[in-house]
Amino acid sequence: MKKDQSKKTISRRAFLKTSTLVATGAAIGLGAVSVPLLKSKDILLRPPGALNEDLFLASCIKCGQCLQVCPPQILKLANISQGFGIGTPYLVPREGACILCSGLPCVLACPTGALDHHLSLGKDAQMGLAVLSGPESCLSPQGINDLIFRLKNYQKNSSSLNNSSELEEILLSLFKRLNGDEKKTFSTRFSLPELSDAVGADLAGKLKGEDLDWLVKFVELSSQAQTPCQICLDECPIKEEQPIQFIAKEGKDNDRSIVLPVVTETCVGCGVCEEKCPTPKASITIVPRLRPEKRSMATRKPEEQS
Amino acid sequence: MTGQNKEQQTVKTYKGAGLRPRNNPQPGHRRYKWKVIRWSILLFVNFLFFASFYFDIQILEGTLSGSRFLGFHQIDPLAAIQLILASKIIMVNLVIGTLTVCIVYLILGGRSFCSWICPYHWLAEQTEKLHLFLKRKKIIKSHNFDRKIRYYFYVIFLFFAWLTGYTVFETINPVGIISRAIVYGPSFMLLWVFLLLVFEVFYSRRGWCRYFCPMGVSYQLIGMLSFLKVKWDKKKCSNCKRCQSVCMVPSVLTDCVNTGKSEYVDSSLCTRCGMCVDICDDEALGYSFKYLDKLI
Repeated sequence: MKKDQSKKTISRRAFLKTSTLVATGAAIGLGAVSVPLLKSKDILLRPPGALNEDLFLASCIKCGQCLQVCPPQILKLANISQGFGIGTPYLVPREGACILCSGLPCVLACPTGALDHHLSLGKDAQMGLAVLSGPESCLSPQGINDLIFRLKNYQKNSSSLNNSSELEEILLSLFKRLNGDEKKTFSTRFSLPELSDAVGADLAGKLKGEDLDWLVKFVELSSQAQTPCQICLDECPIKEEQPIQFIAKEGKDNDRSIVLPVVTETCVGCGVCEEKCPTPKASITIVPRLRPEKRSMATRKPEEQS
Repeated sequence: MTGQNKEQQTVKTYKGAGLRPRNNPQPGHRRYKWKVIRWSILLFVNFLFFASFYFDIQILEGTLSGSRFLGFHQIDPLAAIQLILASKIIMVNLVIGTLTVCIVYLILGGRSFCSWICPYHWLAEQTEKLHLFLKRKKIIKSHNFDRKIRYYFYVIFLFFAWLTGYTVFETINPVGIISRAIVYGPSFMLLWVFLLLVFEVFYSRRGWCRYFCPMGVSYQLIGMLSFLKVKWDKKKCSNCKRCQSVCMVPSVLTDCVNTGKSEYVDSSLCTRCGMCVDICDDEALGYSFKYLDKLI
């Protein structure tokens, strides 16, 4: 240390000065270049109540408290791969959608108002808008029941991957839809006392081969099979606002009318429809930040294609 | 000459202002007392952030940039200023949270955040040992900058926030990155923290904390007004200067041990880490409330 001091000369002072200048200059340059570059990335789906994107980025403090209080735990924090808003919350509806829980805890938890505290009801959120992005894969116009579709898919893949949670989900929604007689038939076939959630979970692990074949036939013959898929509306957390309506249209080549889900302006873009859509690639997807006024292109698309 | 150089010269010129003729180790002096307390608190607070989410005990929710302690908002002052400049809106919760933090650090002493809470500081303290080892073996040289760069960076980042409408510094803030990694799991941004540590080990001792971190500056500004300081007892000091050899900011002790001008370490740069208190076996140094202890 003392040797160093004796060596202190003018050149050291010059070094200090230049290094200061270089460092500040580099910071200014880097900042000026990187800000616009990083800002032009994909728009993420933000939690309910998020201010408009620029203002949201400006006022989010990246503390993650919204994520901590989220009951379904679906919020994620953006990483560097998502571009500019490192540490800001977003959600991927296909992996876990916002269920617009009552009280909107994420909004209440936000310390900075980046999630606007004026929002108190889920139905008033403006996260984005659902769009029928895959009208050709959507089961509803094809008149396919969602449970049959999912079961057949499961049966096809059951040899390769043993994922009983999918089967469990199918069984549980099946139990809800069966009528009294069908329930009896089902429980006698597998000699079950009653059809509860626990029984469904238990059964899902065991069902294989012949039993599975029987189940497919049983579901195909059940009364609920008459109804084509409308899971997007059934699962919608603001169903009573009718954000999705099934509108019948005359078919082109046969007498059967084609039923299409049409998104109305009450949709808030929570993404539950996208999460629950049974097709391998979601047929209905959320466009973040889209509002009804601007959506003319998006909604017309499926109608034209049908 | 820059301020630092001048101060280091005075270290040489003055023999010291202490009145004790020779080193007189006090019986029962504990050399690691404050270090143990400080590290325990630092690790415990950061563990509390982790546990509040992971085990859902909800005591200290959030991260170091913004959190809630038993429901009370706490916001990092620098982040708050950036947010206000970026969004051009003043939010009530933000102001409440910032004031809470300001009051806490007014009592605890300004830069005490750095040495008592900041997880980056703790990591840097560990890697500093490696740096000093390499320096001793003459494998590397330590490069010093002008400590005043900190203030330029502080202004630049605030200006950026206002200009771009985005909290630019929060993107690269290693404290926020580490704190988020502790609570929500690691992210790629930890690479940046790693680079900073490499820079500190191989190029400049404690480079980020000393020359760049605007967060430290913001706590320093609060700390200017705080009463809790390290007190220096002229009669007990034997001028061994070991306090300055362990101090992270040796110049803060000059006014006491070198010139004897002041009874308290008044500089706002002092982090209240207590290393000088630990090393001083004359027990000439200790924590004290300026003005208040005279009243009692």
